[in-house]
Amino acid sequence: MDDKKENRMVIEAEVPMGTVHPAALEPYRLRLFVEDEIVRDAEMTVGVNHRGVERIMEGLPVEKANSLTEKICGICSNIHIWNSCRVAETALEIDVPERAIYIRVIMGELERLHSHLLYLAHGSEVLGHETFSMRIFYIRETIMDLLEMIGGNRVQYGSAVLGGVRPRCELDEMRIKKLTAGMDLVEEKLTAFADRFVSDPMVMSRITGVGVTSQKDALRLACSGPTLRATGVKSDLRTEMFEYYPFDFEVITQDDGDVKSQLLMRVFENFEAIKIIRQAIRDLPDGPITNRSWEMQDTPITKSYIEAPRGTLYHSYALEDGRVRNCVIRTPSMANIGAMQYSAIGHHITDAQLCVVQCDPCFTCTDRAIEIIKL
Amino acid sequence: MSLKSYSRGRAVHVMLVYTGGCNGCDIEIVNCILSPKFDAEQYKVFLTWNPREADVLVVTGPVTKQNEQPLREIYKAIPEPKAVVAAGACALMGGVYKNCHGDIPSEEIAGPVDQIIPVDAKVPGCAVRPQDVVAGLVSALPLLLNAE
Amino acid sequence: MDLIYSVIAVIGTLVVAFIVSLFLPGIERKFIHARIQQRVGPPITSPGVMAPLKFFFKQTITPESSMPRLYNALPIISLIVVVILLLFLIPEMYFLGALASVIALIGFLKVEEVMYMFMGSLSRSVMSVRMPFPDKAKGAAHPETPQSFFEDLSSLRAFRLIAFGSFPLYIALFVAVARTGSIYLQDIINYQQVHGPILFSVAGVLGAIVFFIGYMILLNEYPFSILKGKPDVIEGPYMEYAARYRAYVYITRGFLMFTLATLFSTLFLGIAPNILNPSFIITLIVALLFPMFMAVLSAFSPIFTYKQFYPTVAGVSIIGVLAIVAALL
Repeated sequence: MDDKKENRMVIEAEVPMGTVHPAALEPYRLRLFVEDEIVRDAEMTVGVNHRGVERIMEGLPVEKANSLTEKICGICSNIHIWNSCRVAETALEIDVPERAIYIRVIMGELERLHSHLLYLAHGSEVLGHETFSMRIFYIRETIMDLLEMIGGNRVQYGSAVLGGVRPRCELDEMRIKKLTAGMDLVEEKLTAFADRFVSDPMVMSRITGVGVTSQKDALRLACSGPTLRATGVKSDLRTEMFEYYPFDFEVITQDDGDVKSQLLMRVFENFEAIKIIRQAIRDLPDGPITNRSWEMQDTPITKSYIEAPRGTLYHSYALEDGRVRNCVIRTPSMANIGAMQYSAIGHHITDAQLCVVQCDPCFTCTDRAIEIIKL
Repeated sequence: MSLKSYSRGRAVHVMLVYTGGCNGCDIEIVNCILSPKFDAEQYKVFLTWNPREADVLVVTGPVTKQNEQPLREIYKAIPEPKAVVAAGACALMGGVYKNCHGDIPSEEIAGPVDQIIPVDAKVPGCAVRPQDVVAGLVSALPLLLNAE
Repeated sequence: MDLIYSVIAVIGTLVVAFIVSLFLPGIERKFIHARIQQRVGPPITSPGVMAPLKFFFKQTITPESSMPRLYNALPIISLIVVVILLLFLIPEMYFLGALASVIALIGFLKVEEVMYMFMGSLSRSVMSVRMPFPDKAKGAAHPETPQSFFEDLSSLRAFRLIAFGSFPLYIALFVAVARTGSIYLQDIINYQQVHGPILFSVAGVLGAIVFFIGYMILLNEYPFSILKGKPDVIEGPYMEYAARYRAYVYITRGFLMFTLATLFSTLFLGIAPNILNPSFIITLIVALLFPMFMAVLSAFSPIFTYKQFYPTVAGVSIIGVLAIVAALL
């Protein structure tokens, strides 16, 4: 298949978009091979952000290793520390109290909200629409205030610990009232924005039919999360996680797999997240939020899968003498970004950046040492 | 106050360079500029992506190996007078990546920013708060105003 | 005595135009963009007056370019062309005959557009190919392809814009010619003193709309800013300008905004820019209104790629041709 493509492909020049670029929030290298401003081939280079996190984690005590995983990414920080604690809790068979599970779910959904809103704002900026970008950032500020109220910091709030949630993240009456008010405000403003966005012909003509990923390609290239659901596949890991059993929510899918589907996916998922948070606040059980009575043992390698805002996140490590060994982390963006390389082909260069950004890439999460087992 | 320092204080162009790291500081700095709540343009600070136009360079992230050369080139391309603001714990001392003191240290970090280019203002935080970034920028201004 | 008055009129008009054009970017940014985006915005003097002034006091570096001196001279040539454009709109200069005609104005505007192309092909910025990165490593795709700078891409787009993007503005200019039957500015103004402004007729209204779209295209304002859009070419042809020369680029843009609005008021309202004439107030008002409308439109649009550009220009050009036909009837 590749040889036939080579014969028909005419490449005039290469346009490299470097490590520092206004459309890229993280450093990565994108080389576009163009013929008369239409992209014929693309190559993404990740690895600029590699800090060697798995290597540093080798030999750290478990609690310290957990709080290190939070620093892998600044946008999806809570999901990393939650998953990392989940590995240790599954391995050591720690019983997490119910109230702590509910609070973890609330923090996870708040993070999904802020991450999707950031994606919408970044997408609008890559489209060239500064006004929409600023409107979304304004809506996002409400979520950031809520996160700061519960966790203590706007970014990297570290709410989960081994055995539950940090004592600071206790939800008392005043916080619950503020959460409820915040959710109402965000829902109202987001509905108004979504109506305005969808009814704008200039924006819609820019994003419809651009960067299409077919369902077959998405499954073959191992995409996951909203990127996969935007092509019509109903697959959400939250339906299988035990923490989400008491909650009632829908799995959103869209049909086309282009930029419009990806953007609308995130908007509808926001509404589902608001629904879950409201249910969690309403049914919040009483009880302690941290379980400190567990024992440390040596365990073999344990795995944990969780639904991050971008897809399936995987953590695994073994415990030896209270220290972490053989840690492996695999983030969803690793496969999503590779798939986006193919979706940019055939479009104009200005649309190519949009195609790469459409999968909500998080290069900081992704930069690990990868071993390719099978091509 | 001469015309030179008056005009330099009334239009400051800032360029943002991210050199690895977890990206939390970058989002907060973008929040500074693009979020109406923190709007830095009211303080006469404009965001630019061209080193030839910039006065102040804001650097975030511990400098990873592949980002060292680009950072040096961008710093060289900025015309005098210039100031550098290092924002975030990673830019100041390598952050968590260099100071975790595990069994095996990381070999991918080429050192915090002041080992590569001279730094004039330091803004701590993990991640930095937008208010602190604006304060840091303003504190680097006297260097620009009083320069040649 | 007459000669002294003429000289005062010419120089005075140029000076007032210069001063007003320094404030136009600030007004656009503070009163329109910031209000729409629900934030405070910079003071009015910052983007237009203080920024060029600050650039004058920066270190002059040699730009990375194949011909640095020519590259640095281009903004000065650009500024001189815009000043000449305004000069030939002033009534005291109409004695020059053919130079004060619509054809000559179109020629000067063309030179203005061709400047973008030259600037783009000469600039080589550190943010594009010169960013040090080990691209040609083992296993890289297509290692033997020649690499192209962002500015070259911009230059290609400028070429396309010269080819079709200038239709709306030029067609709108010919509406006035079709109505009055003469290309000389003197005749166009005299016609409008007798028959009233061309704007107050079907042809005039259509022509004004087409002129406005052409105004936005020439100034590369969103949505027509594919030449220097942030998402891919960062700044386009201006990447390597620093210090003084960047100040000239800023000043030229403000001046061009003013000059094109003056062109509109001359051709469609019949009011030539002349500081000794009290109707100069109307010229100033038009020069303030045009950037404001442009800013409102640009705050609410994304960047158009060719898929949206071609149909927009085609549609607007058809309206322009209809306006000319209406003017001839």
